[in-house]
Amino acid sequence: MRDAFVVAGRAFGSRLLTGTGKYDSFEAMRDALAASGSEIVTVAVRRIDLDSSDGDITAFLPENVLLLPNTSGCETAEEAVRTARLARAGGLPDWVKLEVIPDPRYLLPDPVETLRAAATLVEEGFTVLPYVLPDPVLQKKLEEVGCATVMPLAAPIGSGRGLKLRDSIRIMVEQAEVPLVVDAGLGAPSHAAEAMELGADAVLVNTAIARADDPVAMARAFRLAVEAGREAFAAGLIPEQDSAEASSPLTGAIHES
Amino acid sequence: MTVHVVVNGRDQAVESGETLAALLERLGVGPRYALVERNGEPVERRRYEEVRLEDGDRLVVARPVAGG
Repeated sequence: MRDAFVVAGRAFGSRLLTGTGKYDSFEAMRDALAASGSEIVTVAVRRIDLDSSDGDITAFLPENVLLLPNTSGCETAEEAVRTARLARAGGLPDWVKLEVIPDPRYLLPDPVETLRAAATLVEEGFTVLPYVLPDPVLQKKLEEVGCATVMPLAAPIGSGRGLKLRDSIRIMVEQAEVPLVVDAGLGAPSHAAEAMELGADAVLVNTAIARADDPVAMARAFRLAVEAGREAFAAGLIPEQDSAEASSPLTGAIHES
Repeated sequence: MTVHVVVNGRDQAVESGETLAALLERLGVGPRYALVERNGEPVERRRYEEVRLEDGDRLVVARPVAGG
């Protein structure tokens, strides 16, 4: 596979991970997931509601993707570990998008609890993909305990604001020893391209696709943007400079005598 | 004989010796993606057919849902 995205020894052709939340219908979700080309798709885990017969999302998920259960809704390491164990025992993959979020307003992850949970889950054999603030020191600690990726947010979940902490993410790219996935806050394909141009290994997008007027078209736009950004990174961007540098010859203009 | 278990916080009557798989079926949750905790311990999916419910069991039954 050319330029594969390799996580924990498993190669993926797509560098766009997608979430399944916030779609108007499972049908819309299914079509957008297909258009995104994603090979890793997140799901949440919740208690069933005994009074309602909500549809079963699993019937609408593509067969050939890796389902990545998340630990959303967990505010402590213990809750996250419990959720991951439940998901694995029940037959979901032993991969987990680890999120420990005590803060309902900005949905910012708790770095201390995330690190604690990551250490436990790695020890128990899980492939752990933690969602974190863009903190290069925390990144190193998560790598040391054996996380498979580190997934810094671009901006708060669902905010669509793009790479607000670009300089921190640049440091993380520079020192990454496991794949870096920019997760959350990307609102436009250009944001995803920017993250990829910066050298992120992948991005994870949910709201920007699910809430678009046309989720299928937006999923395709994100796919193309991720591919473009990756190619640009690999091609080598020119350094920025303050003054201009002409692209046309400086001599031989027609009016010269 | 009927015994009582608690499913997601609610009392549920089951036949003594009923399997977890049978209960899931009755609850309308396919075994493929039903996730179960019994008395605080996760239950391996391959054991759903053999686990027999006992009076007072506390179950959490979950499943994958949409999420990011």
